[in-house]
Amino acid sequence: MIAAKQSDYTPAQRAHIRRTLWLLLAYVIVLPPLVWYQAHHHVSHGVSVAMAIVASLPLLGIFASWGRYLSDERDEYHQAVTLRRNAIATNATMGAAVVWGFLQAFEVMPLIEAYWIPFVWVVAQGISSCIPFCFRGRRGA
Amino acid sequence: MPWTPAAKRYNVRLILLTLLYGVFLTSAVYGFKHHLVGGAVAWVVATLPALPLIGVFAAMGRYLVEEQDEYVRMLLVRQMLWGMGFALSCATVWGFLEGFDLIRHIDGYWIVAAWYFGQGIGACVNRVTLGARVACS
Repeated sequence: MIAAKQSDYTPAQRAHIRRTLWLLLAYVIVLPPLVWYQAHHHVSHGVSVAMAIVASLPLLGIFASWGRYLSDERDEYHQAVTLRRNAIATNATMGAAVVWGFLQAFEVMPLIEAYWIPFVWVVAQGISSCIPFCFRGRRGA
Repeated sequence: MPWTPAAKRYNVRLILLTLLYGVFLTSAVYGFKHHLVGGAVAWVVATLPALPLIGVFAAMGRYLVEEQDEYVRMLLVRQMLWGMGFALSCATVWGFLEGFDLIRHIDGYWIVAAWYFGQGIGACVNRVTLGARVACS
């Protein structure tokens, strides 16, 4: 059953999933020790900068992997679906960022760390990929 | 490269939304500076300048749907992907630098500025790699 499911993926999708899993594993391995070390030791400014950049590298790798996937994907339908999903997620995220930004600027809302923006993007991608399923269900009913 | 009809419509929408943005932003800044708003109204007034910018994102989406020239559309999609990758990367690095207390917090709309800047990089990449230039955006 798993083999059948795997065969549904295009080679580019399989490569992208593999890269993403490796990068998430790297993220999970790298982040806790860095946070722990920062909390329990006095770290110089330069080292802290290096630690922050190291923590963000796996996530940057995931964004690069998305770009690589789009360039590797030979199935035009899958490529178009992914582009559509990315466009919806990006516009929704930028909309959220701009609303939050003005609420921050006018001191109505507290300031938040910028890495929540990519988090919103990932959630928006998930929601936008659910939209066709919702419509399909409605059509089926 | 001549502008396509969809690009012309996009530019008209963009100009109108930019004008609206100027009006809303000026009004909101004036209102907050002179303490004219408070409570729930403050939330609404603070959100007002964001609405035309959200309209710009919607206009970009609409343009991508309306554009019939597949080559121009492909260039724009590439440009937007560069913008997306650049903005998300900036947000991630900045977020961790904030998380480790190295730099100050920034207002969220700077991510949108990074996105537009990233689109500029995408346009340069299109120019260098494909020798192409998009008329709008």
